[in-house]
Amino acid sequence: MNEKAAIPKEVTRANDHDIKIIWSDDCESIFVARDLRLRCQCAQCVEEMTGRKLLDPITVPLDVKPNEIKLVGRYAIQIWWSDGHGSGIFPFVFLRNLDEQMKELAAKKFEI
Amino acid sequence: MSDLTNEIVLKALADIVDPSLGKDIVSLGVVKNLQIEDARVSCEIQLAMQGKNHLKKQAIDRILEIPGVKEANVEIVIVKGNSVSGNSPIPGIKNIIPISSAKGGVGKSTVSANLAMALSKTGAKVGLMDADIYGPSIPTLLNVTESPTPKDNNVIIPVEKYGIKVMSMGFFLPKDKAVIWRGPMLNKMITQFLKGVDWGELDYLLIDLPPGTGDVQLTLCQQVPLTGAVIVSTPQIVALNIAKKGMAMFQQLNCPLIGIIENMSYYQIPDGEKDYIFGEGGAKKFAEELDLPFLGEIPIATSIRKQSDIGIPIVESEPESSYAKAFIAVAEKLASQINAMHSSGDVPQEIKLTF
Repeated sequence: MNEKAAIPKEVTRANDHDIKIIWSDDCESIFVARDLRLRCQCAQCVEEMTGRKLLDPITVPLDVKPNEIKLVGRYAIQIWWSDGHGSGIFPFVFLRNLDEQMKELAAKKFEI
Repeated sequence: MSDLTNEIVLKALADIVDPSLGKDIVSLGVVKNLQIEDARVSCEIQLAMQGKNHLKKQAIDRILEIPGVKEANVEIVIVKGNSVSGNSPIPGIKNIIPISSAKGGVGKSTVSANLAMALSKTGAKVGLMDADIYGPSIPTLLNVTESPTPKDNNVIIPVEKYGIKVMSMGFFLPKDKAVIWRGPMLNKMITQFLKGVDWGELDYLLIDLPPGTGDVQLTLCQQVPLTGAVIVSTPQIVALNIAKKGMAMFQQLNCPLIGIIENMSYYQIPDGEKDYIFGEGGAKKFAEELDLPFLGEIPIATSIRKQSDIGIPIVESEPESSYAKAFIAVAEKLASQINAMHSSGDVPQEIKLTF
């Protein structure tokens, strides 16, 4: 993946819960709200030095959704969730890689 | 002659090279408003700097060589900063350019101050923000003694000196007091300097960064979309290796790199010979390896140091000296480079957020 591929043209809603990103190479990604919330990399959710997960998935409501999204410079978005959590910054490189991983997983499902 | 097309004209122009950028004017994207009416061809060449009228002559000659063309009309249009705005969340500021080295003591502040003044001498509106909160040196370099005036609702009016607008933490502190802050306070101050200062209309806002890859740099990249960073380094490997870390940070934060300036390149011995104290051409080679534009070399010189110490930068005090000319040449190259980035779409476009 080249660097420019990880820069979005547009960040918007896919539906009431999920986030859609249209990338500068016209690829589209859809991030399911709760999946993304559970992958939050902030210091409250992941221990900084060890990478140990601190967030207990049980504490995240099944219908969690983003209330507000802001751009962080040119490299990330910050999401304020309906469960009150708002310190997570999601770099575009992280999101683009996550999308690729998810698409690979989805492709493997068919093989089985 | 109805088979005369834009492609034919552009092809004819494609071997005209802008010498300061080393690229042809078609791939730079500076040929605009191309119009063909029967056998008459007219177009504009958009440049950042005056004094490239030979491009106009070359372009007219090339167009007239195309079979069937009877008349050619080429205008040089000077675009200051750039006309593209939109991705600037500080209204009125066209280009925000951090000056970084990651390593301390390579002369970032001296280079920033002289670059700002050189850009301003071309007629551009320039602001200079000293983001070194702990060790502000811009007040000394520009001999600013007055404090900025506060306006209503928490907005500060920057100090104007030598035609540029200046803001620095040093304006708010007595010389013998230190700032002893943790990260969150730094972030607050940088945000205040960016968004709580009445910068007005600016073609360029240069930001003199502190050394390192920490809070100030991160806040800057998070708060505003930057046009691109300029890297300053001395020719030595120790300096270049640390500069590389600064560059890695900008790349990680999606901030383009505009180019590299080599400071303290050589010492001019009175008999005219150049002594390359710290080695010759280090930064240039480095720029070539990384495929980045090399913006020029600035010599080490007593008069640059002296003028900095008394607060009248050499570009202001001795604009005709070879040292001032070195800064002016770098400023011109920087302006052309920024203009080329805008016209070829290398400046990241605005990210649309609809939520």
